[in-house]
Amino acid sequence: MIRRYLAWRFAGWLLPAAWRLAKALILAAAALAAAPATLVAAAAVTLAWRRGWPPGRLARAAAACAPMLAAWLAAVAVAAGTPAALPAAPYRAWLGMWHDAAAGRPLLAAAVIAPLAIPAGLAAGALAWSRRIRAMESGSSGLSPASAVAFDLRQWRHQVATARARIAAPGSVPLNTGNGSVVAGAVIRSVGHRAGPVASLPYQRMRSHQVVIGATGTGKTTLLLRLWAGFMAAAQQRYAAGQGPRPLLVVLDCKGGADARRIADRARRVLREAGARSTAVWPDEARLSLWDLPPGPLITTLLDLIEHGTGAAAYYTDVMEALVALAVEAPCGPPRSAQELRDRLDAGWLSLAYAATGQAADLALIRSSARLLPDIALRYRALFRRLGAGLDGPGGFGDADAWYCILEGTSEPAVAEGQARALTDLLAQFATGGQDREILLAVDEFSAVARRLPIWGLYERARSLGLAVQVSAQSWPGLAQTEDERNRIAAAADGGLWLLRTPYPEPVTALAGQRKLTDTSRRLRRSRVWSEEGQGRTALAPVADPALIRGLDTGQVAYIYRGGVTFIQIKRLIGSPPALPRVTAPEPPTAEPRPATASTPDPATPRAGPAAASPDGAARPSIAPPAWATRAHGPVWPLPPERRPGPSGPPARQPPSAPEGPRERPESSPGNSSENSAAWPSTPEPPPAPADRRPPGLTAFLDAAFGPEPAAGPAGHAARSASDQASSRGASGARRPTVTDGPAKADKAIETEGGP
Amino acid sequence: MHGVQLDLLAAIMRTSGSSARTTATRWQQLGLADTARLGPGAPWVWLTRFGLTACGRPYRAIPPALSRLAHLRAVTAARLALEREPEWRAGGAWWCSERRLSSRLGARGGRRDHLPDGEIHWPDDSPAGLAWAGECWAVEAELTRKTAARTTAIMRELLTRTGDYGVPAAEVLVPGFRPRHDRVLYLCSPAARPTVQRARAALAPPEAARVEIRLLPPSARLSRGDDP
Repeated sequence: MIRRYLAWRFAGWLLPAAWRLAKALILAAAALAAAPATLVAAAAVTLAWRRGWPPGRLARAAAACAPMLAAWLAAVAVAAGTPAALPAAPYRAWLGMWHDAAAGRPLLAAAVIAPLAIPAGLAAGALAWSRRIRAMESGSSGLSPASAVAFDLRQWRHQVATARARIAAPGSVPLNTGNGSVVAGAVIRSVGHRAGPVASLPYQRMRSHQVVIGATGTGKTTLLLRLWAGFMAAAQQRYAAGQGPRPLLVVLDCKGGADARRIADRARRVLREAGARSTAVWPDEARLSLWDLPPGPLITTLLDLIEHGTGAAAYYTDVMEALVALAVEAPCGPPRSAQELRDRLDAGWLSLAYAATGQAADLALIRSSARLLPDIALRYRALFRRLGAGLDGPGGFGDADAWYCILEGTSEPAVAEGQARALTDLLAQFATGGQDREILLAVDEFSAVARRLPIWGLYERARSLGLAVQVSAQSWPGLAQTEDERNRIAAAADGGLWLLRTPYPEPVTALAGQRKLTDTSRRLRRSRVWSEEGQGRTALAPVADPALIRGLDTGQVAYIYRGGVTFIQIKRLIGSPPALPRVTAPEPPTAEPRPATASTPDPATPRAGPAAASPDGAARPSIAPPAWATRAHGPVWPLPPERRPGPSGPPARQPPSAPEGPRERPESSPGNSSENSAAWPSTPEPPPAPADRRPPGLTAFLDAAFGPEPAAGPAGHAARSASDQASSRGASGARRPTVTDGPAKADKAIETEGGP
Repeated sequence: MHGVQLDLLAAIMRTSGSSARTTATRWQQLGLADTARLGPGAPWVWLTRFGLTACGRPYRAIPPALSRLAHLRAVTAARLALEREPEWRAGGAWWCSERRLSSRLGARGGRRDHLPDGEIHWPDDSPAGLAWAGECWAVEAELTRKTAARTTAIMRELLTRTGDYGVPAAEVLVPGFRPRHDRVLYLCSPAARPTVQRARAALAPPEAARVEIRLLPPSARLSRGDDP
């Protein structure tokens, strides 16, 4: 009995073992018979394991060999003279390979079988690697319970190393792909997205709202600069090809401080490389004019800038609105500066302005609320003193390809809130004002200034205006004030969410959703290795693993989009260094406070253009830019020539009696340099044009070649004075004839031939 | 230049019209050039692809466009008038044609830069000691009237440009850098002259001082009387 039992147990062990052995032997024999394909498959799987490649990459490589296989088959058919030889061609090649190998010609053997073995081996490797990954993911493979976890961690390390090697290779990660997609970096791993060597976003996704979340020092700025430069380059390409309007990038850096200015410098250099002709840094180097808004939006913005209460205080709000509307909509035109608005908030000025209109209701309103006007003027005086001169113009968003606006949200949140409100209103007005620009509004740490302008309100507004908004924050709670707002922002980010290392990624990873996995449970043996018994079930796992995101290294980001996630190693953009200084930057003079001067125009006199009024008392000088931001240390935003005052006097629309103010950027006139130093830091101007005057001999040279410069006159007027005739003689004494000397008929021929 | 008329070719070669015609015929037989009567006046001569290759020019071989014949003649005449002057030879000046500038831009679509009709480069080390040595001038031949605003914009672009043609867009206009063109020479027909003068008056004085306006020479005329 015992012998029979033992024999039964032995047979129960022996038969499966024999079956396994037979299977292994058969497989080994098949692998040996197909040795070239086996070698290729083994090499492919080893390479994929070492590099952390997905199986699809091997499959694509096998597919890429199809032309080689087709060419080989065609060559076989041509050599045989009939397509009937094709079915037997693989067998003949395999046979020929062994014959050559046996004859001591290994290279010839490899060449004979390569067209067949390489694609077959790659395909077999892809299949084997796919099975291996799937088995490890489901837990149905591996020797011990820790095998699956160890395999995943090892693969992650391999994938990170591969991605880092890719971004380190010069030229392997371009800024944009050939079809205009924006490349963020090298792909580490993707779940639910197409896996490729580089992570590229279609341009249209850059035209949708996006959210970026990452703690300080995780590579957020590097990512943002990359995205901005990619957007600029792609949009410039589209613009050059006539496929879209010019791009406009507006960055609101709501933190402020020296760090913001360093980033602004980096952004300027990176954007220049990407094709942006000019990057304006507000308010350090460039200004915007709040007064360019039409009267209606200007009134709304001016009221929104002032905090006002509710309940009983709403009465005063209504009075303020009525009086500000009267000041803005005065018959002489809207105000052109903060000082002018403050001067208009005066009962005498308003009465005089509206006296000629004969509107009794307006005059009655002015009389009844005359006692409140000084209070309102005082509030606006305080407001504009805090806002500084950055919004007093001149300038507009259309003057540059990119604007980097620095808001001191950390040190002066109240000021930054007002500035943010005004800037968004200006941008909205610019977008609706018939300016055909492709606008991307990037807001960094907007929560610092979002008390007065909810960010979801900005989202909704931007959507209606056709703007794309990119919001970044250091954490999920920093995205907005309330959980409801945060969810609304994240839900509206149809361009995707970028998640860098953060200690609380769960709310964002939940947006990526879950995926189905096969979860296998198996029995453990005593030696802590798996037995062969177990069961599998379908389970749900998060698409974006929060633990993985918590452990991301610097420069790694998870891009969540449409229920998938791609982990990316960001390729850092390095802009060209600032241009070498051509002249030495002088020490900036000490800012001198300017007294407030009243230069409000006569209210009874309608005025076509803006009046020149000096701005506020400038008790708060604007922020002086650091040395690297000066013109001598690199290119700065070029003020459009038409906005620059002439070098020898005030702007054309400025009355001669008006004192010089910082509304216009001063030129190098010594008389006003110190006066304007508070608003415009003294920076060396570019060297003067090298040929402001005619060098000696130039006129004679041109006169000898073409005759003298013609006098101004009506078209076709060919008559010249005798002195002109005399002066047109060249060195030889003989005047050269010009086209005007020809017959009138010939002149007409030239005029009608058409030109460039 | 895309092509030249035989009378101007004779002026370039400082020979008679019949000699220029013989030379052009020989070039045509060698496959270097093509000739045809494209418009009023003398026949036109232009290089074939073989001729361009022989000259080492990487341009596309195309016959002169009919709509540009007058303009091409005007530019060539202006160039000849300049090259006749002793200062030109003494200063070692050389002419950079619009075609050469255009070839630097390559096949980029949507060209946004305005190309001058030619550039004159005056070397720094000219033995003649010219006061304008080292300068680069842009030359514009204006036959027809544009709007003054458009002309002003072109003038301003030429005067403020800092980069060479074909460089990345970010280097085209770099504040603080020396302008590429120290001077812009406008050569106008009588019809276009008032517009050009109005456009110059719209510039700031330092910029306006760098714009020279002259009338085109009589040889710029495209007429039937030029057949040699």
